[in-house]
Amino acid sequence: MTGDDLQELTRGALEEIAGASDPDQLELVRRKYMARHGGLITAGAAALATVDGDGRAELGRAFNLAKSTVQQALHTRQLELASGGRAADAEREWLDLSHPGAGLDRGHQHPVARLVREIEDIMARLGYESVRGPEIEDDLHNFQLLNMPPEHPARDTHDTFYLAGAEAAWLFRTHTSPVQMRTMLSGRPPFRIIVPGKVARRDNPDPTHIPVFHQVEGLCVDRGVTVGDLKGTLEYLLRALFGPERKVRLRASFFPYTEPSLEADVACGICQGSGCRSCLGKGWMEILGSGMVHPQVLRNGGVDPEQFSGFAFGMGPDRIAVLRYGLPDVRELYENDLRLLEQF
Amino acid sequence: MRVSRNWLGDFLELEDIAPVRIAELLTMSGTEVERTLDVGRGLDQVVVGEVVDLARVEGSDHLFLARVRGGDEEPQDVVCGAGNLFVGALVPWARPGTTLPSGLEIGRRKIRGVVSNGMLCAADEVGLGSDHEGILLLPPANAGAGLPLSDLYPEDTVYELEILSNRADCLSHWGVARELAAVLDRPLREPDLRPVASSGQPLLNSLTVEIEDESVCPFYRADGFGGIPDRAAPHWMQRRLQAVGQRSVSGIVDVANYVLLDVGQPLHTFDLERLQAGGGHIRLGVRQARAGDRLRCLDGVDRALDPATLLITAGDRATAIAGVIGGQDSAVHEGTRELVLEAASFAWTSVRSTSRRLGLRTEASSRFERLLAPQLAPVGALRFARLLTDEIGGTLRPGPVEAGRMPASAGPIRVAAASISSLLGVPLTPERTAAALRRLQFTVSSEGPDLEVIPPAVRTDVREPVDLVEEVGRIIGYQEVPGTIPVMRRAPRAGAATAPAARLAADLAIGAGYTECITGSLVPSDLVSPVRGLGTGRTDLALANPLSTQLGALRSSLLPGLLSSCQLNQARGRDRVRLFEQGRVFWRVDGARPEEPELLALVDQDVEPDPDGSAERLLHLLRVCQGLGERLSLGETEFRPAEHSGFHPFRCAEIWSGGQTWGVLGELSPKALAQLELRGRVVAAELRTDGWLVPGGRPSLAPALTRTPALVLDLAVTVPERALLGEALAAVHERAIPWLERIWLLDQYQGSQVLAGRKGWTFRLRLRDPERTLTGHDGEVTRQRVLTCLRERVAAELR
Repeated sequence: MTGDDLQELTRGALEEIAGASDPDQLELVRRKYMARHGGLITAGAAALATVDGDGRAELGRAFNLAKSTVQQALHTRQLELASGGRAADAEREWLDLSHPGAGLDRGHQHPVARLVREIEDIMARLGYESVRGPEIEDDLHNFQLLNMPPEHPARDTHDTFYLAGAEAAWLFRTHTSPVQMRTMLSGRPPFRIIVPGKVARRDNPDPTHIPVFHQVEGLCVDRGVTVGDLKGTLEYLLRALFGPERKVRLRASFFPYTEPSLEADVACGICQGSGCRSCLGKGWMEILGSGMVHPQVLRNGGVDPEQFSGFAFGMGPDRIAVLRYGLPDVRELYENDLRLLEQF
Repeated sequence: MRVSRNWLGDFLELEDIAPVRIAELLTMSGTEVERTLDVGRGLDQVVVGEVVDLARVEGSDHLFLARVRGGDEEPQDVVCGAGNLFVGALVPWARPGTTLPSGLEIGRRKIRGVVSNGMLCAADEVGLGSDHEGILLLPPANAGAGLPLSDLYPEDTVYELEILSNRADCLSHWGVARELAAVLDRPLREPDLRPVASSGQPLLNSLTVEIEDESVCPFYRADGFGGIPDRAAPHWMQRRLQAVGQRSVSGIVDVANYVLLDVGQPLHTFDLERLQAGGGHIRLGVRQARAGDRLRCLDGVDRALDPATLLITAGDRATAIAGVIGGQDSAVHEGTRELVLEAASFAWTSVRSTSRRLGLRTEASSRFERLLAPQLAPVGALRFARLLTDEIGGTLRPGPVEAGRMPASAGPIRVAAASISSLLGVPLTPERTAAALRRLQFTVSSEGPDLEVIPPAVRTDVREPVDLVEEVGRIIGYQEVPGTIPVMRRAPRAGAATAPAARLAADLAIGAGYTECITGSLVPSDLVSPVRGLGTGRTDLALANPLSTQLGALRSSLLPGLLSSCQLNQARGRDRVRLFEQGRVFWRVDGARPEEPELLALVDQDVEPDPDGSAERLLHLLRVCQGLGERLSLGETEFRPAEHSGFHPFRCAEIWSGGQTWGVLGELSPKALAQLELRGRVVAAELRTDGWLVPGGRPSLAPALTRTPALVLDLAVTVPERALLGEALAAVHERAIPWLERIWLLDQYQGSQVLAGRKGWTFRLRLRDPERTLTGHDGEVTRQRVLTCLRERVAAELR
């Protein structure tokens, strides 16, 4: 056998490999040329033994080239035939991927619950523990301990629902602040709590009022707590809620249970402070009321105001949801129309 | 309350401060500006017109045709609907081509066949107040026909303010000016309180005052005036009153109103002659009402007076309700020549409760009910005397008649300057602190490290050291305080709930496909739910003062609210509604605080269900409840068939754990669905989560992950049709059969292959020994043990 013979065989083998139309045919081709015994090309190994000297080396190279070329071709064709078979099967499994359907079959969180959770999580990073308190309260905890004796003018904005008959001593809390009192009375400072919950005021329902709504209250009592601490905490909370670029301002206000009292506004999200219809031209939106806990309130809670000071703040997640999600009417939050809820 | 920038200018220099800057300074220091109104802008085009002739428009019962002269040109016809015109009246006339401050363009129009050359304007139409009753009548002394209206009404800015409830001192221009002077650090021009020269008969000759109880009326002062002409208030005064939304009434009343808005003291004016009511000497009294007392008030309403009402009496007959409203019979009128001025102080509690009881809030009551300083009473009297005699005429009679005692001012407040700085969290020198307080007209003297502070008497809200912290804070401005985070010296309470059970439960329900709802805590008073979940099914806690019977009681179950949310979504075209709610409900407890259990309810409505769909959905709901129990409770959860009204009699179970019921679930009965107007089929559950679910959920332990292979084999049995799978599996688990790692139902079968009255169950068993590979024989032994157990407990037979 000569190098030319091997070249001739290789050419023949490549043609037949290319012509093989299924794996069985290809196997026949492989056997014809490459079978360990009697393969046309493998036979070249025996021929090699009969040649000496330079001729032998040359033939050896030709033999190796022929063998590797054919093997490579066999392998490539084998893959082609195999994938061709899968492709045929796969076609029968054609799937329309342009329309993924209804999405994950999961439910949705209520926007107010979601905001409450967000606020809890932000405050948890500052070490605030989330606590709850009763929704049905007595006058003592809801008003008197918070510096609002009977007939106090500040009660005007706390138009209260009272229970009837034998339960006349009870009322639906008008704010979450009684939980401040319950927390202080049942433990020792320092306190860092966040209190979400339902509250009620006797306001007729309209686009901005509902009789039962939500509040989130925060309280921090420790040695040496300052107005600066209140400011830093509120700025952190409000920027975490409304975005790090949002302008926040604190202005003087009045609540009977805090002194000094401050209200926090954030720049209107629509006009960024220049004044528009959405913020009634003010440029700012009132978000929360806050202040340093009044020394008498601390005393009422069994905390010595000579040693401890603290701040408290309260905000309405319903109102924030209305602002954040652009709802025209706060009552829509409680209709529970799935078209709204499924956005969250 | 509305204040005018020009008026504030009486008290301090404001010319160089932009109106918008004033609004910002007020808002930041606690006097919130709700709205800013431009007054008198664009009035140069409107002219003063003189009505020279007036006739009715033919065929109309309310339209007039006025001939109006503006300057020297020929008078023109203007049609007008207001009834207060007369020949000679001077009125604002917007001629054709004029643009009003509102942007309205005035043209020549034909009304009822008559050409109208522009329009005559009411106060609101020319931006001079909110009055729309009648055409604005201009004062003849100042107005001449043809003059531009802007000559009479210089531009002004009016601020609508929200005054904080503790700041009675801010309910006047003087008070607001005091705030502005402090934030701007400018001198305050105090009002002119020099007494007016008096003449004539001393007032005491005509009148005495007696106070029954000085705790509700600490101080009463009466001043007498005589020889008062019937004259309107000067234009500048009317203009200011109009700008802040007051109507001009008469000279005397306008002066009293002006003083009220100027310095904040409510005044009342009596006609002296009417007080005498034929008699001679007037005995004014301040006393509580008694049975039978009545008063026809200034608003025309005749009121029977409750004994808690504080009255002003003349000869023991009610003549005014103290601090709220006067009586018609003693009111000043056009013919009043002699008057008695009341400047008094009434207890805020009394005025407040009277005003609330009567449902009557007046300029006077809204000030008295906020702890107005008694020291303002003489200020009001002196200002009235000055303005009445200067601007209207008449003389002050000698000697005010006084009763009660002016309460002594409170002593100084002593405070360590350092404590103010340290509570604010900003370094302040004692000098800077004192300076801030002095800007507010506080008297400050320093005693070493302490300050002794005396606030002005009108500042009834400043009583304790901490009140001074607020004053300093808002005057230096909170923007100067650096924001910090309080140092945390102690870690939060160990074991504090970071993952409350309720939160994990909501996540689980949402993951299972249910959407969270929040429904109202208030329900109709007569609500009887057709579906009884937990609780009694009725509301037993009613409100004493509901807004309506529809919101008259506290809910006792979450299901009615959730089911009505289903109804709403069904009505809006949904065919599948899956909802859940977490929240409190309220149960009555005899003689104690109502119970507030924390519940979780879930509903799944399929408006057009396939035949077996509801069973599948009920089992899904059951698995959700089971998942809650497995992940979030400590004990084992069991479902026991039960009967609850409103539920399907054969598709209802109670959830039990630790010997207690925690919930109920099932499919609603057709009757309940009909009552609730729900279509299709609905499955629902209501669970109590407090007490059952624990914060953080069930603690987990890693199992031993043995490497030996498992032996898996099946067991097919038949059991009676109503055999309970839960009971069967519980029995097997109880037996603690060796090697049995897990058993579960692979298939349930009912039909021709099993006897009537029975069903087939195929279980799959997974066995494992930690040490060795199990043999076929081991498998057989285990299978027999399981079979024996099933035979005993649920009458199983090998199939």
